[in-house]
Amino acid sequence: MIRADAPAKLEGRIRFGTDRTRPGMLWAALVPAPVAHGRIRQLDLDPARRAPGVVAAIGAAEERALLPGRGAEATPIFPGEIRYRNQPIAAIAARSLEEARAAARAVRAEIEPLPLLADLDSVLPGWPEEGLPADAPINAHVRARHGDVEGEFARADRVRRDAFRTSGVAQVPLEPHACIAWIEGEVWHVLTSTQSPFGVREDAGELLGLPPERLVVEGSWVGGGFGGKVAALVEPYALLLAAASGAPVRLALTYREEFQLTRSTLPARVWIASAVRGGHLTARTVRLLLDTGGSLPGRDFATGYAIAFLLGPYRLDAFEVEGYAVRTHKPPFGSHRAPLAPQCTFAADGHTDALARDLGVDPVAFRRAHVWTAGDRTALGQEVGPFGAAAALDRARALQEEWRRSMPAGTGLGVGLGYWSTGTGAGGEVRLSLTPERLTIHEGEREIGSGSVVRGLVAMAERTLGLPADRIVLEYGDTATAPYDAGVFGSRTLGALGQAVGAAAHELTAELGRRLGAAGPARLGVEGDELWAAADGRRSPIAQLLTPGERDHGGLLRTGRHYGRSGAIDPARVHAGEFYAYHDFTASVHLAAVQVDRETGQVTVLRYAAIQDAGRVIDPPTFRAQVEGGVAMGLGTALTEEMLWGPDGRLENPGLLDYRVPTLLEIPPIEVIPLEGFPGAGPEGAKGVGEPPIIPVPAAVANAVADATGVRLYELPLTPERVARALMAR
Amino acid sequence: MSGPDGSALVVNGRAHPIDGVPSHERLLDTLRGRLDLKGTKEGCRTGNCGACTVLVDGRSALSCLVLTHEVGDEPVTTIEGIAADPNGRRVQQAFLEEGALQCGYCTPGFVVALTGLLSESPGATAEELLTDLQGNLCRCTGYAAIVRAVRTLRAEGP
Ligand code: FES
Ligand code: FES
Repeated sequence: MIRADAPAKLEGRIRFGTDRTRPGMLWAALVPAPVAHGRIRQLDLDPARRAPGVVAAIGAAEERALLPGRGAEATPIFPGEIRYRNQPIAAIAARSLEEARAAARAVRAEIEPLPLLADLDSVLPGWPEEGLPADAPINAHVRARHGDVEGEFARADRVRRDAFRTSGVAQVPLEPHACIAWIEGEVWHVLTSTQSPFGVREDAGELLGLPPERLVVEGSWVGGGFGGKVAALVEPYALLLAAASGAPVRLALTYREEFQLTRSTLPARVWIASAVRGGHLTARTVRLLLDTGGSLPGRDFATGYAIAFLLGPYRLDAFEVEGYAVRTHKPPFGSHRAPLAPQCTFAADGHTDALARDLGVDPVAFRRAHVWTAGDRTALGQEVGPFGAAAALDRARALQEEWRRSMPAGTGLGVGLGYWSTGTGAGGEVRLSLTPERLTIHEGEREIGSGSVVRGLVAMAERTLGLPADRIVLEYGDTATAPYDAGVFGSRTLGALGQAVGAAAHELTAELGRRLGAAGPARLGVEGDELWAAADGRRSPIAQLLTPGERDHGGLLRTGRHYGRSGAIDPARVHAGEFYAYHDFTASVHLAAVQVDRETGQVTVLRYAAIQDAGRVIDPPTFRAQVEGGVAMGLGTALTEEMLWGPDGRLENPGLLDYRVPTLLEIPPIEVIPLEGFPGAGPEGAKGVGEPPIIPVPAAVANAVADATGVRLYELPLTPERVARALMAR
Repeated sequence: MSGPDGSALVVNGRAHPIDGVPSHERLLDTLRGRLDLKGTKEGCRTGNCGACTVLVDGRSALSCLVLTHEVGDEPVTTIEGIAADPNGRRVQQAFLEEGALQCGYCTPGFVVALTGLLSESPGATAEELLTDLQGNLCRCTGYAAIVRAVRTLRAEGP
């Protein structure tokens, strides 16, 4: 099945955020903070205002003047206190981009430097062995436990303790963030490359003090999101500049800024200990320090959610987890395809793999003996629904044996087990309208590339109605006209919005069945140019089934809704902070074959297989593409991707030359194996597939390296230098 | 058509006067900003992603690293004109059939670069073509479907 957006994308006819313009548009540039922590004593915008072509130059004072109605408690867009290097402290709108950039360089700021919190090691060097200093810069603290942890460890016949470090990674969409803002009377508009128009309306509205009816967000085609385009980033600056200049303003990040400003996964340190008695994993304790950068207190979403991954998808008699979200002077923590799950799984699954090898047990069999199946409860007490991990592990084990026989000596094989659960967010809806010529899906999400909108939603309408894809049209609208939905993230789109399309389509077929005088629902079809409906041997063109009002006013309309779903955890197990209960536990089991160059430490992935718990595959090509793309991105996290910050808080590799994403020949052949039969709550039992395939990749690769060399790596990514050092230290 | 001083840029078979174009302007910006040919994508602007690939006299070039005035009278082909080249059409068809795109931001660069390679070295093997495509990044597909499209093209013959 060919994606509806493919021809236009192949012919260069699609307009992304970076491609959009408006008549009379000005160009914007941001003024970066020259330190990572400091107080702005004075900001002199006059040299910028006098520069050629400049129409507006704004900083904190102008922001206050432009937003008289905003509450005093609102977080300022331009800071008084700088929280990370390159944080925008002012912005310029000018007649050309060159003039805007030149003027940005002319801004003078007097800044009092403040002490810098650079990284986890310098902020909390002693934890968890030592206690926490009273003045520790903590954004959030989470702690949960259950069962007789100390007793299980005392009774254990084998205990293993490991410590891991993971790196910050960038989303690196090919298209940087870009938007255009303009003001029409009382209403502020922004057209932007986003994964969530309604999310941007909420975020930017809060920052600007604008109620939903005064801020309209329209999504453009998105050149890759991967979590980086979920929250507002460039929009508030562009909107303020539009208000200050009275003209439409375009703001696009440079690629350098894309690295420096986007919120992403930041470094973490993890400690895991497991207790085993009589071959059974009985208890696990976990400590986590997560760098949350300049995230504002109370805005941590990651710690309580990440820590669960460190326990693994295993039945445990007792557990304890404790973690801190640590404030440093980096950009705030943000979403990145399954935020932190690949990193936590690298730690948890690597630890489990090593534990099994300690015990002299096959690592796959060990996992298989402890993994959840339907009806089990997670450590936090949430019930696990249908979950394909055990079946996927069986497949992986068979495949591993096959590969062992066929692959050259020296090849290391590693299995990684990861899991995910989907958060559907708030409810949302779609509207369907049926005319004699076509079905239109009115909805609020834009296609970010994954296919969840152009294929997922369309496939649901196709399957429910019986119409071919070329008779189904998507109509996106903006936040003023489109039905609400939370956004394309969290592997939720098909499960949430696809479900809504299915519900609306069922109502349509039921109504058409009634109008045909049939007992059951109708099926739709096409003959020549016309759509028709048929049921119980009766059949009629759609034109004859519509009322005159429907024929004249947009066709037969039906609305479909989905409701945000979640599971429930046992509150008695939570002792501090917030933990989350999503739903649709989804297993990913990967098998990696690697070769390690013992001289250089270079890891080459020769072959790869991804077994994905799918619930039900709705559109096989889209499913496969998501798994392949997720694996490739995970190989970057595993092997090369690492944001490096200097002691002054400067990102030292803000570009593609130094921050290495996988290139074409670095990706091995990937075998994608869907596993059906463990249904989720999505349409026809489908589970989300956007994030799960990235999750076990670093674990599978590190386990394969351990298999090849006998040496385990405890830090991501597995760069040649780290691997060579570990081999030398043996 | 050419400007008063005779300088013109020939893009997809049409000549555009460029005497008003500053000497430091990049071909990428002339194409996108002045000629409204937005199919050529702007990514890193440092020569590291391949999204801005165009053909200059049939050979692939990163338009973010080429100055407009450097091009001289060599014809430029962008994604908008690639279908006029039979190789371009074949590449588009192979990408379509293999689903070798997701967000599509890298796609024009890949299609143009591969078209240039097929024309330049019609006998190249799939492996050679893939080696030469390494400068084009894709963050969405994991390259798997792109590799399949290249293999399909080679299976069809030169
Ligand atoms: S934009 Fe030219 S190579 Fe990236
Ligand atoms: S399809 Fe998105 S970058 Fe290639």
